[in-house]
Amino acid sequence: TELRLSHQWSNGDVRHKVAQMVADDVAAADVDLDIKIFPSQSLLKAREQYKPLSRGLLDMTVLPLSYAGGQQPAYNLTLMPGLVKNHDHAARLNESPFMDAIEGIMAEDDVMVLVHGYLAGGFAGKEKCITKPDDMPGLQTRAAGKAFEQMLAGAGASIASMSSSEIYNAMQSGVLDAANTSSSSFVSYRIYEQVSCYTPAGEYALWFMYQPLLMNKSTFEGLNEDQQKALLSASEKAQAFYLEEAKKEDAASAQVFRDNDVEIAAMTEADFEAWRALAKETSYKAFVEETPNGQELLDLALSVN
Amino acid sequence: MDPLFLGLLVAVTTILVLFSGVSVAIGLLIVSAGFLLAFDGSRSLELMPEIFFGKLDNFALLSIPMFIIMGASIASTRAGADLYEALERWLTRIPGGLVVSNLGACALFAAMSGSSPATCAAIGKMGIPEMRKRGYPDGVAAGSIAAGGTLGILIPPSVTMIVYGIATETSIGRLFLAGVIPGLMLMGLFMAWSLYSTWRSGNASVLSAGSYSWKQRFEILPRVLPFLAIILGVLYAMYGGVATPSETAAVGALLCLLIAMIIYKLWSLAALWVVLRDSTKESVMILFIIAAAGVFSYMLSSLFITQAIAEWIGTLDVNRWVLMAAINGFLLIAGFFLPPVAVILMAAPILLPIIVAANFDPVWFAVVLTINMEIGLISPPVGLNLYVINGIAPDISLKTILTGSLPYVACMVFAIFLLCLFPDLATWLPDTVMGAPK
Amino acid sequence: MAGHSTAAVAYAGNNPFLRGVAAISTVAGWCSAAMIVIAVAITCQMIFVRFVLNASTVWQTEAVIYLVITATLVGLPYVQRLRGHVNVDLFPLSLGPRARYFLACLTLSTSSLIVAVMLYYGFEYWHFAWARGWTSDTVWGVRLWIPYLSIPVGFGLLLLQLVADLFAVLTGLEKPFGLEDA
Ligand code: NA
Ligand code: NA
Repeated sequence: TELRLSHQWSNGDVRHKVAQMVADDVAAADVDLDIKIFPSQSLLKAREQYKPLSRGLLDMTVLPLSYAGGQQPAYNLTLMPGLVKNHDHAARLNESPFMDAIEGIMAEDDVMVLVHGYLAGGFAGKEKCITKPDDMPGLQTRAAGKAFEQMLAGAGASIASMSSSEIYNAMQSGVLDAANTSSSSFVSYRIYEQVSCYTPAGEYALWFMYQPLLMNKSTFEGLNEDQQKALLSASEKAQAFYLEEAKKEDAASAQVFRDNDVEIAAMTEADFEAWRALAKETSYKAFVEETPNGQELLDLALSVN
Repeated sequence: MDPLFLGLLVAVTTILVLFSGVSVAIGLLIVSAGFLLAFDGSRSLELMPEIFFGKLDNFALLSIPMFIIMGASIASTRAGADLYEALERWLTRIPGGLVVSNLGACALFAAMSGSSPATCAAIGKMGIPEMRKRGYPDGVAAGSIAAGGTLGILIPPSVTMIVYGIATETSIGRLFLAGVIPGLMLMGLFMAWSLYSTWRSGNASVLSAGSYSWKQRFEILPRVLPFLAIILGVLYAMYGGVATPSETAAVGALLCLLIAMIIYKLWSLAALWVVLRDSTKESVMILFIIAAAGVFSYMLSSLFITQAIAEWIGTLDVNRWVLMAAINGFLLIAGFFLPPVAVILMAAPILLPIIVAANFDPVWFAVVLTINMEIGLISPPVGLNLYVINGIAPDISLKTILTGSLPYVACMVFAIFLLCLFPDLATWLPDTVMGAPK
Repeated sequence: MAGHSTAAVAYAGNNPFLRGVAAISTVAGWCSAAMIVIAVAITCQMIFVRFVLNASTVWQTEAVIYLVITATLVGLPYVQRLRGHVNVDLFPLSLGPRARYFLACLTLSTSSLIVAVMLYYGFEYWHFAWARGWTSDTVWGVRLWIPYLSIPVGFGLLLLQLVADLFAVLTGLEKPFGLEDA
């Protein structure tokens, strides 16, 4: 049996390594299961993977789940400011009733999770450091994700939407003053050449994005028992690796910026609470309004310690 | 089936289907559907509309209709005539000065238009009849404009550079800058050849007839100012932090439409409609090919053909310049038959990893690729510029246009050689303006 | 050698069917051109809002993308009518009149078939988006059935124009590939 896995990242990315690990382990298990990986959007564009996955036209993908927030508004909770405090907290969320509820919604779309995982990100400013809401007024900002756009707009920033690959040029030409994206994107797009200050995910981090390895449920159920077992055990091993790598990535990105003489700023607890108070008034509120059972899901997420 | 063999099968089928006279975009859809159905299961067709739509779901594509409107609106006025008349008044003493001023006007116009056929049409409408009236041979008159028009996609803005930038995720601003010096160099080569051939033909004295007073020379300059203003305005918007290159295109389109309406009194709805109709026609044609080529490349990737070819070439142990020569040969042949956009979309995803692995600069390669595509524009059987010239001067046979443009093809091949010898010609300007490459 | 002739337009003559289709395609072309113009205006407005007012731009990028996509799809039949879709007619040129006639029928019917496939699955995709209430994952949150509607509409109209072209060739009202007899 051949399974096709599509994702948007290059071969050096941790998310590709996770997919490759699963593919290798399944191949080693010798259960007549071959996972073919299509990296770097070579098969499908990043945001066009979830729909084919749910229709069984694609077997597997590694995907920021919030990309599918237009199909299932509940997924927007997986990229919500201040919901996840750090990587260990993220790992606890993965095992919580909150994630059970999200997986229940995925099942409606015939989708299941093989590997859970969160990656973090930070802020970069062209002229100054960004640590708290008071830093934002008047800045043309690119934010990663709808909920962050709502929160940053609430802080007085002006939002310019563009893909992360455009940040570099937009910062260089001065269209953009600040950007928010994942640690790995900050490094791979060489944003350190264009900014004066970087606020990485540290002790307090605002930006966590859930990016699981997903599979079509019916396809999984169509496999024989040995194949299913091999997939699940490979996934479990990959999940542990994913968590370790995710922790390393934030510090590694900070080091790259430091090496390029970019000032490194840190968020304090007070900053974090200020952001969270703002998020409650903006993104959380909007989420609850547009999502069926929104309040219930939000409370579930907030109840995880 | 071995993916490499399957790839060969796809190539042969695609050639046969495209030569049958079906439109290129629909041909690509037919081939894709056929192979998906045969080798990827019956459900694979379900995804085609989604992929088609997804390929167009890209903000940067907006700039294609915009840059075409820029050219079309200016082309509908007598701006092209003004441009080359101004140049001619200044260059009239040079034997062959009229060809030179037409080529210069093509280059200037290219800086306002993203498309080659538009550039060709704008300058050719006045330039070709004028050259023939003054005794230039038909071949020189038609050939120089056909070739000059190709500058439209090398000198920024350029629709093909945008498509390359999207297909390979290369900065469009950087690509635009990379085309400037090679574009001017090519213009210089074209001019040098024109002067030489006029001098050699022996009737140089006749062809340099007519002279203008300094008053006449300065009189015409104000008529060129609006275009310089547009070019500078667009450059400022693009590199001065006002807007991204794709957004700048809209400003350029608006400016050109306004100038056409205000300065050239393009008020009547009928005249405006002609501009919009022509731009819509060319844009929709290009965007249809882009979307269909997206489906085609999905098919290639899904059947693992793209990956197999890249892997296979990676195992070949050849000198990087032999590789570059082979790639150029391939592009040249593909360019004979297919419109530039189709070649770039089908070839770039396969070629780019190879180019990068062989240590060539993708921005430099974009320029080499563009010049190859330019050659295709003035060669049969699909030479868009040839048909434009044919439309302007129906009494000049295609054969005459073709032989007339042949020396200019030689200039382009020579330009590719120069670029291989001195890659800085392409990379120096973007590196200087935008910093070292990422 | 035709390829991309600037002058030719699909023949309509006095045939009511051909004239009807021509009229529909032309209206589609007007809509397409209008959408491109609106996209220009919105982009300029966006630059103004961001650069001059330094304010947020929430909906413009998406609106422009969907307008350009819709302009492309809805413009397909009109460009087909204007013979603006570039082609390579190497084989038709090298064939005799009879073989050329059959090749024209073959290419036009295959084209109609593939466009019908796109229409069928495009309709299905649109219906998915409509029935499940899909929106885009942005703050603006466009209901996706609106832009997706351009897929069945565009391919449907293109199919109509292709069928009309096939009809014109079959009834001898138009020369195969628009080529004069050699
Ligand atoms: Na140009
Ligand atoms: Na050609």
